[in-house]
Amino acid sequence: MNDDIPLTWFLYFAAATFSIGLFGVLVRRNAIAVLMAIELMLNAAVVNLVAFWRYGPQPEGEGPLTGVMFAIFVITIAAAEVAVGIGLILLCYRRWHAADVDRYDTMAG
Amino acid sequence: MPANFINLNDFYAIAPEILFTIWGLLVLTIDFSLLSHKSSEERGRILGWLSLTGTLITLLYMLGPTFKVALSFYGIETSAAEIPSQLDPYLFHGAIAGDALTRCMNIVIALLLAMVIVISMSWSFTEHWGEYFALLFWAGVGMMLLIASDELLTLFLTLEMMTLCLYLCTAFEKGRRRSAEGGLKYFVYGSVSSALFLFGLSLVYGQTGTTRLDAIESALLPTSGRVIGLQGNVSAATAVLLILVGFGFKVAAVPFHQWAPDAYEGAPSAVTAWIASGSKIASFIAMMKVLIHGLGPWARQPDSLLSPGWIGLVAVIAAATMTYGNFAALAQRSLKRMLAYSSIAHAGYILVGVLAAAVAVKGTSGKPLWNPQAAGAVLYYLVIYGVSTVGAFAVVAWLSRDKDREDIDDLNGLGFRSPGLAVCIVVLMLSLIGVPPLAGFFGKLYMFMEALNAGEHGRLALLWLVALALLNSVVSAFYYVRVLKAMFLRQPDKEPIGPAPSGVAWPIVLSTLTVVVFGVFPAPLLEAMGQAAIPMLSSSETVATIHPPSPILGVASSGGRIGKGVQAGVNSEGKPVLIKEQVLTAPAPQPR
Repeated sequence: MNDDIPLTWFLYFAAATFSIGLFGVLVRRNAIAVLMAIELMLNAAVVNLVAFWRYGPQPEGEGPLTGVMFAIFVITIAAAEVAVGIGLILLCYRRWHAADVDRYDTMAG
Repeated sequence: MPANFINLNDFYAIAPEILFTIWGLLVLTIDFSLLSHKSSEERGRILGWLSLTGTLITLLYMLGPTFKVALSFYGIETSAAEIPSQLDPYLFHGAIAGDALTRCMNIVIALLLAMVIVISMSWSFTEHWGEYFALLFWAGVGMMLLIASDELLTLFLTLEMMTLCLYLCTAFEKGRRRSAEGGLKYFVYGSVSSALFLFGLSLVYGQTGTTRLDAIESALLPTSGRVIGLQGNVSAATAVLLILVGFGFKVAAVPFHQWAPDAYEGAPSAVTAWIASGSKIASFIAMMKVLIHGLGPWARQPDSLLSPGWIGLVAVIAAATMTYGNFAALAQRSLKRMLAYSSIAHAGYILVGVLAAAVAVKGTSGKPLWNPQAAGAVLYYLVIYGVSTVGAFAVVAWLSRDKDREDIDDLNGLGFRSPGLAVCIVVLMLSLIGVPPLAGFFGKLYMFMEALNAGEHGRLALLWLVALALLNSVVSAFYYVRVLKAMFLRQPDKEPIGPAPSGVAWPIVLSTLTVVVFGVFPAPLLEAMGQAAIPMLSSSETVATIHPPSPILGVASSGGRIGKGVQAGVNSEGKPVLIKEQVLTAPAPQPR
């Protein structure tokens, strides 16, 4: 394992991806772009999980594939979330004829 | 059978979840096949009754063992011996737990779902009834499994299952623009928070190499067995912060509350009731499991409560949440929005209880000393809060059936036209304020007393929190009383709301009854919740060796003394503080 890419590289990559995603969520106004940014954040967590599975501690009694299984389930959840999100965005788009999250502001207070 | 194979008997333990899932599919299929030619109202009525039947069947199935135990308690022998065998805290290789906590809470969730379904039937807000009821069921499955989950992957999966269904339910009211808007806002905030939460979980997995909560605890606990806090551990601090953000969003705690008023206002009132009660109960229990059970070693430094650790963070969040929620609720004209802010405030009170549970659980002198009564008080409060919230949102459903907006002024003069229901609403509001002798008062009392009697180091900090919570309760009286003022002191409008449909009346009456009965006799519920709290706080093996089995739920308990103390105190009428002292003087269970 000495020749491998070190764990920290993966963690830096994941942290960077996560930060880009968070930045996108906060800055972008288009609902679809926000959805993409959320996906980036989820994928950063997936990278983290797989990297930790490969390099991290492995206590006694732990199954051999915990991190990978977690990652697979997260990917599934991400897909489900996109389906729900696109549905809701379409619903709002039909009412407002706009996909900007700023425009949806009938409620306040 | 090989050792690593799933034990098929485990499926019996999640029978309520399986029933709910199948019933959701059944409702959906019947809507598409048999009822496709019927009108929208008719389909809503038929499917509503079908869903209610399914929920009640599940409820009866779950209550069956309780009836048996209750009968044997009064000397009538049934085959009660088979019950403990159904309680296995280690199902599916430790992914979910089938303990007293899940059993009690599944009953609560099914009861709340039944009330939500009844409220949904009171007016016609959508055409897609099959999908609507199926999503309600599946959100309920998510909540039940979230309460049961004992492992981070299951926890995240079920959390998402619950919230994804609720996002969709929120956007179901077709005629109103704000429904779609509330759904999208809920979705954006919710999915960002769950992405943050997941990143936090991945960091926890990286530090411990495991996803099971008890293994996480033992991996984090240093060999001295003392709590260590977060001093100098940046990765752990990030993980805790992200996990707190995730749970903060789900329970609508300040500063992660922005979605709540809009989603609550936009959603159909029945769905609002479901979000405010069921999802909040489930999220709070999952939060306590993860923080107290899994991340307990990161709570604080051994000798001070507000040292680096999640206890300090939760204390700050609790203070901000209850203060903001109450003061923002003062400014609301809409009943629905007012209740949304008040539910934020209640989340703040519950967080104080969570702190008390966390402090009471971990003794600082090496080995942990369990005090399940503090966590039991939180569960008691959650149950009472959930039931009374559903009742309060039933009132909102009544308004949204007849009016475009749910203003408090629309309740004007209700006390003269529907006196019975108005009195019920008064009782509900008084219980939400926390007026004795209603259950809301006892919930707050037990929680705050546990907070005051918790750890020896943090008493001053918790004293401040409790003082702030009491002050906030006084503030909350102002906006709840506005409802009463509208009902009894003002003249009816020109266009008053019509008589209540039975779908509104029944939940109001039922939750009022619950609040009154458990206010006058809090002991049985409190005792059951104290027992249910035990598996939430420690790994199952520890509990099994500490506590002798109790006859009530067929589970491990701390012996009958605490519960009997409560009973004796309550029967001696009207001195709750004395009762509490009796409870607290009951000896804590010995550590292993």
